[in-house]
Parts: sequence; structure tokens; C-alpha cells
Amino acid sequence: MSKKITVGPVGYMPQSAPSMGVELSPEGKALLYGNIVDEKEAMRDAAKALLTMDNPTIFPGPQVLWDWRDDVADKSAAILELASEIPNCKIIPMPDYRPKYPKIDVKAEINPNHPNLTILDNKIKACVFIGVHCHYANLTLRMIRAGTSCYTVAMCAMMGHEEAMASLRDVHADNILAFRDVVIEVRNELGIEHTPTMPPENPSLPKEDWGSLTPADYGEYRSLIMSRKGEHVAEVE
Amino acid sequence: MSLKYMIPASKFKRYLPKDYVELVDYGPFGKDYSEVGVKNMGTFKELVEEHPMCSGCWMAYYIKIIFAALPNPENTVTIGTAGCGRLAISQAAVPFVYGNYGDQNAMASGMTRAFRLRFPDIQKDVITIAGDGGMMDIGFSMTMHAWFRREKFTTIMLDNETYGNTGGQESGMSMEGAVLKMSPKGKNFGKLPAMQLAITAGCVYVVKMSPTNINKSAKAIRRAIFAARKLGPTFIHVYTSCNIEYSIPTPDVFKDAKEMEKGRFAFEEFMTPEAKELFAIVESKKKREVS
Amino acid sequence: MSLNKKLVDMDYLLNEAPREKHFITGAQAMSEAVKRASVDMAIAYPITPQSEVMHLVGDIYAQGHIKEYYRAEEELGTMSAIAGAARAGVRLFTATSGPGLLRGLEAIVSWPGHRVPCVLGVLTRVINAPLSIQPDNIEMAYLMHSGIIMLHAENQQDTFDMTLAAFAITEKVDVYIPVSVSTEGFFVTHAKGYVEMMSEELAFTENDPYHAPVPAMDNEVPPARIQRDAPVQKSNFMSYLIHSVWQQEIWDSNRRAMKYIYQYLGGPIEVQNPGSDVMLVASGCAAAQAREANRYAQEEGLSVGFVKVRSIRPWPKDEIRAALKGSKAIIVPEHNIIGWLCKEVQASIPNSGDVIEGPRVYGGMTLPVELIMTEIYDALGMKSETLQA
Repeated sequence: MSKKITVGPVGYMPQSAPSMGVELSPEGKALLYGNIVDEKEAMRDAAKALLTMDNPTIFPGPQVLWDWRDDVADKSAAILELASEIPNCKIIPMPDYRPKYPKIDVKAEINPNHPNLTILDNKIKACVFIGVHCHYANLTLRMIRAGTSCYTVAMCAMMGHEEAMASLRDVHADNILAFRDVVIEVRNELGIEHTPTMPPENPSLPKEDWGSLTPADYGEYRSLIMSRKGEHVAEVE
Repeated sequence: MSLKYMIPASKFKRYLPKDYVELVDYGPFGKDYSEVGVKNMGTFKELVEEHPMCSGCWMAYYIKIIFAALPNPENTVTIGTAGCGRLAISQAAVPFVYGNYGDQNAMASGMTRAFRLRFPDIQKDVITIAGDGGMMDIGFSMTMHAWFRREKFTTIMLDNETYGNTGGQESGMSMEGAVLKMSPKGKNFGKLPAMQLAITAGCVYVVKMSPTNINKSAKAIRRAIFAARKLGPTFIHVYTSCNIEYSIPTPDVFKDAKEMEKGRFAFEEFMTPEAKELFAIVESKKKREVS
Repeated sequence: MSLNKKLVDMDYLLNEAPREKHFITGAQAMSEAVKRASVDMAIAYPITPQSEVMHLVGDIYAQGHIKEYYRAEEELGTMSAIAGAARAGVRLFTATSGPGLLRGLEAIVSWPGHRVPCVLGVLTRVINAPLSIQPDNIEMAYLMHSGIIMLHAENQQDTFDMTLAAFAITEKVDVYIPVSVSTEGFFVTHAKGYVEMMSEELAFTENDPYHAPVPAMDNEVPPARIQRDAPVQKSNFMSYLIHSVWQQEIWDSNRRAMKYIYQYLGGPIEVQNPGSDVMLVASGCAAAQAREANRYAQEEGLSVGFVKVRSIRPWPKDEIRAALKGSKAIIVPEHNIIGWLCKEVQASIPNSGDVIEGPRVYGGMTLPVELIMTEIYDALGMKSETLQA
């Protein structure tokens, strides 16, 4: 099988997978490296990547993070079960789609406008996207393929994603659990010993303590806040 | 129910960034206005926090008031256009549509009608927030016609009397004689009579003000939203100085707003008899109106 | 719907439901399609020759086939209101013509990037200066680089079928960009033709705004802190790559629509006698004339074939290339001066020198079959008479 879509980095201006002739898989099938294959085959390859590559991470998106539909409870439980079966798996959410201001906390979240920051900082080499709206999933998967060496798995509730190395479509709670079973199967084949462990919770940074700031914290901008010799600053904000 | 879309799935609460969890736990969604609202700003998690507006920006201050004053933030959509304001508005935890240039009131027309089709029993508040250029110059026709058509949403014009975001050019709302970019010899006509235009075009509630008092500002915003739900278009014309382009020293921004309040932005409030009746009912209720 | 229609999927509606023959204008055909599409909202603004369509759509609104309808202030207001309503998750229709299309263009070209699903009727007309209201499809050239899907109807039947199909295509989760259905003003909109239509008791399944690649902005779907229309400048850590991949995504979505054009409309092109010495390639109303020229040529025993292009975007490059393989001359009759279809054909085949640039008529001129025949004779080295205007 020739790989149409490969682990990046593919370079400065990525070519989109659809423009390279990759088409979405029909119902009941999956995509693996841009080729239409049986679901099991794609799951096995994805499982192997998540079990053997560094810092495997699951990126849940808004559609599974919030309790807006009846199926979210089952789906979120299934995602955690999947995570618990992957050694050292982390969960880093994509809570929304706006560019982060003033800056992203790369340990706490991922953002579709600059996903590479989270991937690179955490040295993530294999990841799963689930519950991200398709438009933003496509953008982020392509940017990851452009600028990082991360293996991407898309678990999509709709039609799947050409940009991912492995794309599963029509994914609901049952399918997530089926993937978990494949992970266990491949893990046993690889002889990796593991007891199910829940991923660590979100390491959101504590609020910054502005009271303890010193001029040194401003780095190259410190001259802007320090008065010059002989200068008298009467009022400050 | 609307609130469900902002309540984290129980399994995932511990995996969300703090910011998002706090928004539900300590934010204004689904809470009584007496607990949150402008009077209690600083004691709850506000909808706009960090934003990239200039230091001393009076517009940023007023935008924070808008979001703290919302009667029903979990069922509100804001629409804006190019300009400084959207830099802060787009940081709010309320859906924000950024369309094309000056098209906010046309978009809001389509959106308001669509909401009424899809949710006949749920009140969804649509608010357009744009600058003087977006509202009264490039978007003039769409602003006016939305009012003539009696579209039921609120229009807020953040008037800094210049195009602040593009570098300080003359706008239709600049003062006569103002020397700005693109009026190097001074503007040769006066401010457009926005308030009178709004009244003539059929707005049921119109306010012109300089926001120096948060309670008074919030009251006008809430009245405008309540009246838009039931009666028709409402308009708030508010002075939000550009301290950069008009060289107002940051410590003097408030003083400038105070002076404006005595001058061309003296408080004026127009309401139709129906609006007056409505406010009497709404404001007599102690509780926050839940749609 | 208040009229108790039977809601069915588009496959059944277009390809299986029994049909009856009617004799109606192109404008009627478009509004009859809208009638069967469970449209939530239509927004109108007058311009000849489009007005007829939106009058009729207004009538079917009054009859209860559409839930909301109004006349907007002008085209930019119309197209912007469409964008606003789309974010609230309703099914939308509007139409315009020539100068009106250009006035609304700022909003229209932003629809694909904003993931606005809707159907836009384009009833073509010259672009003013000097003023004229006559048919000419040069305005379509302005849409070709916008990312919008473009179908081009040959006649009243096409107008009906394509408009209906457009409602299904625009809402596909892997497409979700607007679909335009163009046809020539007057020649099609004001002329009657036979149209086979299914019962108006049938209508297309209603819109599901949550089966979408972007969240509806209706306070019902996460994320709460949403930025569907993210301004992607001025962020401290952002690469402009986001805008690049966003643009790619729009054109990918355009490309993905091709399979649905096969599914609902039988493919992006219709071919007769592929690989003949002379091939006629045409779209819209010009295809009707080229079809007729092809019939003449067959009667005369000439080696001539015919390609009708139904889909201008996505552009069926491979299909056209295959149909034209082996032919010696390619004639592209068109209703505009710049020859946008001709340029697309030239760019799609290895030997663009084989493409004869024309015949073209514009400014409201009709396209006589004889004009095409003259080109055929010339291409085959036969003598012909000059046609007088």
C-alpha cells in the first residue's frame, strides 16, 4: 500500500489531502494514510502508533466536552476508558476555536489556529482528535501534518477526515469502545504491560501573581517600565 | 435547554482548562442579575477579561459594561464589524459574528428572523455593536433599513468620532473642523444626527450618552434589549473616546468623558409610550427576567 | 411545514418520485424547485430579469411553502442577511442578476469562507455601462474564483432539477458552502419549456443545523466561547498558515461536491460522440444551441460531438479531458465576450491550440445555430456562408 498521507512535517505550505486525490471513505470503511481500508486495519495501525510513539494524547473537542446532547455522557466515558488503556496517555482539550489571546497555555489546551504549539511543546508524537467540528478538524490536522512529526487519528461522528493518518467515521460510544478493545489487543501482541490508569487532570496554571512581579520579569522590555536616571514619573496607571 | 451547551460533561470537567470551568461555576450564566450584573463586577467571572485594546481605552471599558449588563448572556449573540471594538468583543464568552464591512444590521436582520423561526418559545437576544464608521458611514443603509423594517434587535454604536482601528481618519461622526487623517484641512461638515435618525426611522427606544456611570449605562443597555424583544429596534449612541487618536492622556480619559456628558453627549433618552409601559413592568419585577 | 407535505430525501425526490410534465418559464421552474425544498427563509431584492423568480418565491411564501420572506434594502443587505440567517441554522434561498450580483459580491464571496450553506439563483444579465438588461453571462466569471459551487442550467428542466439538487449539496457536511444555479435571463427565465415535476405534496427533508462542519451560532451547541469567524490576524503566536489552510478547505469542499453532482444530476457533463473530429463544448443556454448544431451535424453526417458542462465549479477537468481526447478541433460557443468557459477548456487539455475561441455573442445577442455551424464547417475545411446580423 502506498501512503498518500504521511506523518509530517511535510513542509512550509502543505498540499491539502483532497487536492492530492484523497477521498473520504464510504460508510463502514476507514482511511489509513489516505487509502480506503477496513476499519479494523485502520484501528490497528492507529493503536500501534498510540502505543509505541512518545506522549500519546487525546484531544477532545467541544462536541464531547460539553453536555449538550444525550449521547455525550456515554461518549465521554468511552473516551476516558480508551485513554486509560494507553500507557502515559494525556488528555488535552480543544475547548473552542478562537485564536487564544494573549497566549495559549500549551499544557492545558490545544487550539485549531495554532495546534503546532501544543504538539511541539509537549513533544506529542501520536494523537487522537474527537468531537471537533469537521471544518476546524481539517484545518488543524493539516497544520499538524505541515509542521510536526505527529501521527494523527481522527475519530469523527460524521464522514471522517482526509488529512489524518487514520480516519474513522460515524464514531459513537460503541466505536470508541471497539477501538479500546483493539488497543488492548495490539498492546498484548506487543507485550506491553499496563494496568488501566486515568490520565492526569488538566494542569491549568495557577493565576499569575502580579504582586510579586519584579522588573526582571519584563526581560527586554524592562527599560520601558524603569525610570531613567534623573527622570521623574509622577503618575502611573 | 440552552444552558446545557455550556455545562461541561461530568467526565471531562477535570480535564478542561480552569478558565472554562470557572466560567460556568463563577460566571453570570443562568444566574440572577442581582448576584451578577454591573453592580457586582469584580466579584464574579466576567464574560470579557483579557483583551488587546489600548491602555486607557474607554471603548474597552464600555464593552465590559455591555457584557456585564446582558439580561440573558446564555442566549445572546453579538454581531460586529471592522473596528477596534471587535478586538474586545471577540474575546467575550458570548458568540460573536464578524461579518463584512458595515453589514452588522443586515446580518442581525436575517439572524433575528431565523431565531424566531427556529425558537418561537425561546428569546434569543441579538445585539449589534459597531463603531461610528461601521454604523453611520459604510453600514449606513443597512443600519437605517433594519430600523425602518422594525427588526427586533438592539444596535449599539460605539462613537469615538474617528476611524480608530485604521489609524484615525475622519468619520461621519467626527466634529466639524476636526483635523484628522483624510481631513487634513479640518472636517467641513458636522456630526450626523444619529439619534434623530434613529427616532425618525422607528426605533422604539433611543439613548445618547457618555458612559460615566455604570449603573446608568447598564440600565440603558438592558432597557434597549428588553424593548427590542417585544417592540422593535432600539439604539444606543454612546461616547467611547479614542484616547490615542485624540491624544487624551490616559489619566484624563474619565475627565474627558465627564466633559462630554456636559456637552454634545449629554444624556438623552427617547422611548415610545409602549416602551415606557414595558419598562414599568420589567423594572417593577425584582427578579431578573428569564426567558 | 404547515401544508402537511411528505418529507423525503433528495435521492427519492429527484430520481424516483413520479413526475408530470408542465409547460412553464425558467423563473417558474426555479420557484417550483424552491417550493419543494422546505426552504425556511428567502430574502428578495428586485432586479431584472431576476425579479420574476423572487416574485414567485414571494407567492409561495404567501401560500405557506416558505416560513419567512422579506424584501431587503439592496443586494449587499440581502446577501449579508443571508449570512446572518445561515449562522442561525436555517435553509435559505435568494437570487439576483448581473449588476445586483456585483453589488452583493462582497458578501457572496465571503459565504464560502464563513461556511454559509444556501442556494443562490443567478439569472444572468449584462453588467451595466452602458445600461442594458439583456442576457449575457459575464457575471459568472466573477463567481468562478470565489469558492462557491456553480451549476449552469441549459433550460427550464435543468433549472428545476439543479435548484432542487443544490439544496441537498449545499448542506452536505463535507461541502457546506453555497451553491449557485445560473441560467440565462430572458432566454430561459422568461421563456416556457417543458418541465417534468414531482408532486408539490412532496418536499425535501428539513434542515438539521447540527449536522454541520461548523457550530450553528444559536446558543444551543458548544463551544460557548465560540469564534466561528475567527479574525486570524494580530494574534501573538499565530501563523498565517491558518488562513492558507482555511482557503484550501473551501476549495476542498468545492471539490468534494463533485460526488454529489454525480449522485443527483448524473455528473458534471453530458457527452455525445466523444472524440469526434470536432467537439462542441458549451454550458447554460449556449448548450441548447450547441446541442441543436450537433443534431444538424449528425444529419449531415459530419464527425461532430457535443459536451454540455453542468458544473462550472467544481470544474470537471478529468471528464472534459477524456471527452475531448482524439478530437481535432474544439468549438466553445458562449454568451459573453471574455470566453470564460473557453479559457477553462483550454486549460484542461494538453493541446489548447485546438480550441477555437468562439463563437461568442454578448450584450443580449442571440446565439443562432448557424453561427456554430459556420465554425464547424470552417474547422472541417468546408465552405460556408457568412451570417448577417
